[in-house]
Amino acid sequence: MVPITKNTLPKIITGFAICALLALGGGGARADSNIAGKKVIFVPISMGITLTEAWVRGMKQHAAIYGYTVDVRDAHFNTGAMSELLAKAISDKPDVLVVHNPTVQLLARQIKQAESEGIKVLQINLQSNQPSTAFVGANWERIGREIAEDIVKECGTGSGKSGEVAIIPGQLTAADSVIMNEAAFKVFAAHPEIKVVSNQASDWEPEKARQITATVIQQHPNLCAIFGHWDVHTMGAGKAVKDAHLEDKVIVYATGGGDDKTCQAVEDKILDRVWSYDADGQGRDAGTVIDILLQGGVAADHSMLKIESPMKIIKTGPTYSPNLCFKL
Amino acid sequence: MSAGMLALKAGRARRRGSLLEYIVIAVIVALVLSFSIFIPGFATLGNLRVIASNSAALVILSCGMGMVIISRGLDLSLVATMVAGATVFALSSDSGIAWPLALGLALLAVGVIGFINGWLIAYVEISAMLATLASAMVVTGFFRYVVLGGEYLLLLPKTNPAVIFFSGDIVPGLSAPVALMIVSFVLTAILLRTTTFGRITYAMGDNFQAARLTGLPVRTTTLMIYVYAAVMALLAGLVTAASSGTVDFRTVTNGTLLFEVILVVVLGGIPLRGGRGGMRNIFVGAALIAVLRNGMTLVDLTTQTQDVLKGLVLIIAIATDNYFNPRDTETDTVGDL
Repeated sequence: MVPITKNTLPKIITGFAICALLALGGGGARADSNIAGKKVIFVPISMGITLTEAWVRGMKQHAAIYGYTVDVRDAHFNTGAMSELLAKAISDKPDVLVVHNPTVQLLARQIKQAESEGIKVLQINLQSNQPSTAFVGANWERIGREIAEDIVKECGTGSGKSGEVAIIPGQLTAADSVIMNEAAFKVFAAHPEIKVVSNQASDWEPEKARQITATVIQQHPNLCAIFGHWDVHTMGAGKAVKDAHLEDKVIVYATGGGDDKTCQAVEDKILDRVWSYDADGQGRDAGTVIDILLQGGVAADHSMLKIESPMKIIKTGPTYSPNLCFKL
Repeated sequence: MSAGMLALKAGRARRRGSLLEYIVIAVIVALVLSFSIFIPGFATLGNLRVIASNSAALVILSCGMGMVIISRGLDLSLVATMVAGATVFALSSDSGIAWPLALGLALLAVGVIGFINGWLIAYVEISAMLATLASAMVVTGFFRYVVLGGEYLLLLPKTNPAVIFFSGDIVPGLSAPVALMIVSFVLTAILLRTTTFGRITYAMGDNFQAARLTGLPVRTTTLMIYVYAAVMALLAGLVTAASSGTVDFRTVTNGTLLFEVILVVVLGGIPLRGGRGGMRNIFVGAALIAVLRNGMTLVDLTTQTQDVLKGLVLIIAIATDNYFNPRDTETDTVGDL
């Protein structure tokens, strides 16, 4: 038998108090924890990248505890296939549908359709224009704003630098790129010394990002910073900076899921500062939200439940540790 | 039709064939002049170096594709082979195998792909377009799922021998990728112009049945052409992987590289029905794409707008090609593209 100590006593009292309150509360909604056998379908933009692999790992860990299933329908970066996979997923009538939106508009109509058919839709990391039951993911507005503010600090008035910035989005219509660009340009608007000299999408490909950067650096040898919207493609941009021997002059910013490759890139000076939304933690958040949704939990006013991912800033210096990154 | 008239017709066709090349050269000159005047930073030595290094992989691939198209073939598996070859090299060298052996393994892998392509076309007699389209799918699927375990991306460490080699200069001012591009270009030109293999390639493109009936070894030549294209793809793969630090399968599934390679060959003036053209045409086509791409990046056009413009250029080029090289009883055959 476990002895009651000074530490455990308050916990026991709190426990009794909660039970009493629940008993008195009476008629409120009751959670049904017996969710074994329920069905969850996840339609990612693509598996085979650590981001989505980490999410699936997190979701499946939760599914194993409760005995529900997580079925992954991989769209392999093919947006046409994604709409078809989602249509099929809706017709399979899962209890929860997890959607990873490639653009703000592409799946909006289908998300609405799924919700109207009683399927709870959890959007993960990239949000559509269409709200649904829940969203788990990064706050892109915050990332865009914070990186832009850091760029202003490093390249703006008083820094002695040119103020020239190149932005490399994944796709101009991708949810994260749209929101980050909006937030960053809002910050830059108040700082006319910052000049965005290039804003060209890389289609998420490192080689395209490298080619764009190599060209832009030639035209703007005093470039101060590069803001890449995904760490993987931004590594190509960082490689171009390094090939031009400008790694001590140009600061390369990126965002990403924060796996061990990101830490390696920071150590190799390919990337300088990465705002990581910790894909591993997001996987756990997604699993928890799915547990709650399957047990009948929804926002009191049926608005969208939002779980914002905490940020980790990975950069060289005293705050750096390889433990900031996760390994699959 | 008399022999004199036939010769006259052939001469006219040759002149017409080269007209597209002159149009493209005129367009390049116009683009270079206007970009130099209106785009700051375009007419600099540094930018010329960037244009050359950004075009290295494209030109190397075009050498392979050019040879295939001259023989009246088409290789849609070129980019898949490129990524597959780079994957084999990266995985082998990262697992501690010495780089010459890793390169040998990669050569073997792409050689097998090229051989199968050639065999399907020459012996099974499947059309080149369908055979290579199918092999591209098989190669991509096999390497992604069996070799990489479902991964899309393979990040190369900075210690990878390809990364080290291609990051350096062969001689000051001449980077390794650009040097390899020049070597591939010259080698292909020599093969096409001075060897029996090259003459048979032209003969096959000009009139495949006639070449076959004359007793030329069209089947073994087809095998060699596709193996050569696959080797060029491996070289391009090594250049791309080393310069970006990644082997990226999305180059096959989503990228526009294959489209650009065909664009280079066709724009340069090598007709899709083969038999004509040479490395000069590849140079002209690559120059147009490289200048266009560089200028569009410098003026900060979005990637989508760039794709639209490149697509329009291809349509105009193919329409122009069709106008100047009309199909007739000499060139139009069953199974023609």
